[in-house]
Amino acid sequence: MGRMSTVTAGPRADEEVAAFRNVSKSYGPVRAVNGLDLVLRPGETVALLGPNGAGKSSSLDLLLGLRDPDQGSVSLFGGTPRAAVETGRVGAMLQSGGLMGDVKVRELVKFACDVHPRGHRPAAVMADAGITEFADRRVDRLSGGQEQRVRFALAIAGANDLIVLDEPTTGMDVSVRRQFWATMRAQADAGRTVLFATHYLEEADSIADRVLVLHRGRLIADGTSAEIKAKAGARRITFELHPADPYVEETALRTLPGTVSLDVTGRSDGVRTVRIRSTDADAGVAALYRAGFHPHGLEVTSLGLEQAFLTITGEQDAADDFADQEGAR
Amino acid sequence: MSTLIQLEIMRTLRNKRYLLFSLLYPGLLYVFFINAYGGGSVAGGTPAKSYFMVSMATFGAVGAVLSNSAQRISLERKSGWVRQLRLTALPGRAYTAAKIASCAVTTLPAIAVVFGIGAAEGVRLSAARWLGLGLALWLGSFVFAALGVALGYAAAPDSVQPIVMITYMLMAVFGGTWFPVSGSLENFARFDPVYLYNRLAGFTQPGHSLDTTAVGGLAGFLVVFVAAAAYLYRKDTKQA
Repeated sequence: MGRMSTVTAGPRADEEVAAFRNVSKSYGPVRAVNGLDLVLRPGETVALLGPNGAGKSSSLDLLLGLRDPDQGSVSLFGGTPRAAVETGRVGAMLQSGGLMGDVKVRELVKFACDVHPRGHRPAAVMADAGITEFADRRVDRLSGGQEQRVRFALAIAGANDLIVLDEPTTGMDVSVRRQFWATMRAQADAGRTVLFATHYLEEADSIADRVLVLHRGRLIADGTSAEIKAKAGARRITFELHPADPYVEETALRTLPGTVSLDVTGRSDGVRTVRIRSTDADAGVAALYRAGFHPHGLEVTSLGLEQAFLTITGEQDAADDFADQEGAR
Repeated sequence: MSTLIQLEIMRTLRNKRYLLFSLLYPGLLYVFFINAYGGGSVAGGTPAKSYFMVSMATFGAVGAVLSNSAQRISLERKSGWVRQLRLTALPGRAYTAAKIASCAVTTLPAIAVVFGIGAAEGVRLSAARWLGLGLALWLGSFVFAALGVALGYAAAPDSVQPIVMITYMLMAVFGGTWFPVSGSLENFARFDPVYLYNRLAGFTQPGHSLDTTAVGGLAGFLVVFVAAAAYLYRKDTKQA
């Protein structure tokens, strides 16, 4: 993996790698990107999350200059996206990026290295992308996972400062995926900025140091994975209330500090199971006892990023629906 | 850009469809026509072996050029290879330029194969005429390369094959590929680029010089096809 550690000029720490300023883009009646404001800093590994149709691919297209925004501006390294591509500062692996047919993997990688203004040696690129073993196979005769790795090789064919990946691990099996992220980490450790869109939330959780959540073309969350989880009410408090204990009104549960949502289910024997999602589990539990509850089997668990993500997008949907209804009145 | 051109040429020459349809098929048809006419002449008095040598060379060249440009461009727009190329430092026109360059190279074997058979079958021309004829047919093929690029950007990938085949066959039928065009059909054929293309060979017949009407007509088609290709290319780039 160390073969790629070619010394590059690299961006300064205060430089903007990429910036979206109030960017909007519509396709017919569909607003794919809606007022996006965003700055990427050097060395960050950033995950872009969002359900299908959230505007992830559209945002990446705008970032790379494949499309122009209807409104606002996109810059890469302080210039236009095209200038960044021409100077070899950005490499990308798109979901929609195809490969040339009728050529060998080796020939295609050599081509990518040759046309890159700061191209690496093809052998090193193939080793880093883990494709050396099938270098002599024809590109049109690869499996989906192999094809993905060849695309990745094209994205790292030169000394890029920013690497953009759209759902890079689609079609890869688990071991290949692990190897892929190890390579990716090496790229990030070499000081490169990495932006990747994914729908595997555990990838975002374990690899990214910043997570962006995109929903209906808008950026609805931006922070570390821990911050995103906290925003969603990242802990779940579960316990039972038994009928033998002194009775306390359920409404008191709603006023516990940090409570995001409350769910109480009763059984025929009078035992009630309470599930609380909370942004502040410590204060919530302390207040629970102060209010006179006698919780049994108390458990505090942390939510995964996946649930945090569903919560945030769900809340946004509810807010949008509410706004729509208000608007209709 | 030269790396891309090299790669394009190599992959085309490696492609089996190209070998089959652009080299083998016109060659076999030519042999068939020579035998069918049994050393005789086509209507108008041109020896069949001379007539079909030209018409099969142009048939192969047009076929090579159309499938190499139209079909590939359309399919590669869909596969996303065109987008991938836009993420390299290569200028946007490199892709089309490489396609046309590979067209230009791939027509040469198509022409040479049929010429080789013709020479073996007894077509006699002076060295200058062989060279002149080869050059005329090679230059003429650029008109169809431009048409192919335009079709490649205009046609959707699932319909590009029939569109190319129909265009190719219609142009061939009215262009004198299978039989000499004469009478009222000629009024029609004058607007067929393949007809004009075949007429480029007229100067090799005794007492004829280069058909400047055909050259002018082809130049006109070239302008129209290049303009269409440029327009469609720009439109596609905005949408990709």
